[in-house]
Amino acid sequence: MNKSIIQFAILFVVLTLLQVVCNKVILFDVATPIIFIYLLFRFPVNMHKALLFSLAFAMGLIIDIFGNTSGMHAMACTLTAALRLPVINLYITREDEMNSPLPSIDSMGFTCYFKYVSTMALIYCTILFFIQAFTLNDLLLTVERIGASSVLSILLLLGIDSLVSTRREKKL
Amino acid sequence: MKHLLEFITKHYPWFIFIVYVIMSLMMLVNNNPYQQSVYLTSANSVSATVYEGISSVTNYVHLKDINEDLQERNALLEMEVVKLRDEINEYKLLLPDTAIQPRLNQYKFIVSHVISNSISQPNNYITINRGELDGVKPEMGVVDQNGIVGMVEVTGPHSARIISLLNPNMVLSCKLKNSEYHGNLVWDGVSPEYAMLEQLPKQVKFAQGDTIITTGYSAVFPEGVIVGTVASKASSAKNSFISLKVKLTTNFSQLSTVRVISNNMRDELKELEEKSLQQQEGKKK
Repeated sequence: MNKSIIQFAILFVVLTLLQVVCNKVILFDVATPIIFIYLLFRFPVNMHKALLFSLAFAMGLIIDIFGNTSGMHAMACTLTAALRLPVINLYITREDEMNSPLPSIDSMGFTCYFKYVSTMALIYCTILFFIQAFTLNDLLLTVERIGASSVLSILLLLGIDSLVSTRREKKL
Repeated sequence: MKHLLEFITKHYPWFIFIVYVIMSLMMLVNNNPYQQSVYLTSANSVSATVYEGISSVTNYVHLKDINEDLQERNALLEMEVVKLRDEINEYKLLLPDTAIQPRLNQYKFIVSHVISNSISQPNNYITINRGELDGVKPEMGVVDQNGIVGMVEVTGPHSARIISLLNPNMVLSCKLKNSEYHGNLVWDGVSPEYAMLEQLPKQVKFAQGDTIITTGYSAVFPEGVIVGTVASKASSAKNSFISLKVKLTTNFSQLSTVRVISNNMRDELKELEEKSLQQQEGKKK
């Protein structure tokens, strides 16, 4: 248990630093990769809700402080955290289908995990860019940003996933 | 009562959830006092250190372009110096007894480096590596070699956050060069290269490529700092005002070294304004 907490902490620091760099990336004027949410996807399913919300809020707040976005990521993170279990239940109908509480390719199977990550990334990007668009009301641009950013984020998230999980296998 | 308690203990995570959502909403909606606090912005020491590390690596990327800009600006200034020197000499010949008033010391520059910068958000901010201890104070203007950059908003001991000109909350009083008509320059959130000069009177004459400069009405910027050039007229035939689309001279995607303008007269001006306000209130009473 302690080991996994430390692992999560290290992963969080690395992902936050990467996100700070990623915030500056704007591919084709629309796509900004959002990768720090990877951690939110990987929390155990049976984690206590209060802890989950608190961690999600804290993660978002830290990214906000770095990016001067004042509450945008904090809000999107908290809302996405609340939608996490319903999304998992959407793809996994029976309780015993997951052989470990950690959502991963091993425990869920690739198709299920891919669907789960894509849905969550899409939800996150939708919330985030609609909060951003509060002041701009340019719907087409917002939709473009949501689409492009979620595709880019999903690709990067799966890349991160492969990196992290191979390292784990080597350890075992 | 028992049922209520049971309900609360069973669903308390959702109460926490609601509290978090409300907190983030509050941060989103009102920019102060949470956002103004140094700890929750990029002016705090942890994020400033991280950004400083990153920018020390990425700074090299635009070095060539920036160097060229500087050379150009240098050449321009040198020419101006030669011209002014000639003019002063001529005047000295004409009026040998007049002493020149020392007015130039009103403004002082604090040179600093941009360590974080955004241009893609609806509200953009810039972080620099100079803070209170270097004499940077809120509401000071910031320029670079090409033009206006923004205004200092929050200061930490060694870093400060600047409201970029690419932020709808930043309104700058500007005018056309060679004319006294002035309007407000606001960013419309579309492109980091253009901003809108609004509320110009209809009778103002302009041509494409005309220079836009600051008015110097506030103590933030001196008069005559270049802001941009007229790109086109934005259609707004509704009332007696027109808007112009302005191409900004500052390249916000390549900011590296900026100067914070410290106005020695600022405190004096503020004191004066406050005094007159107090007097007015006194009269009302």
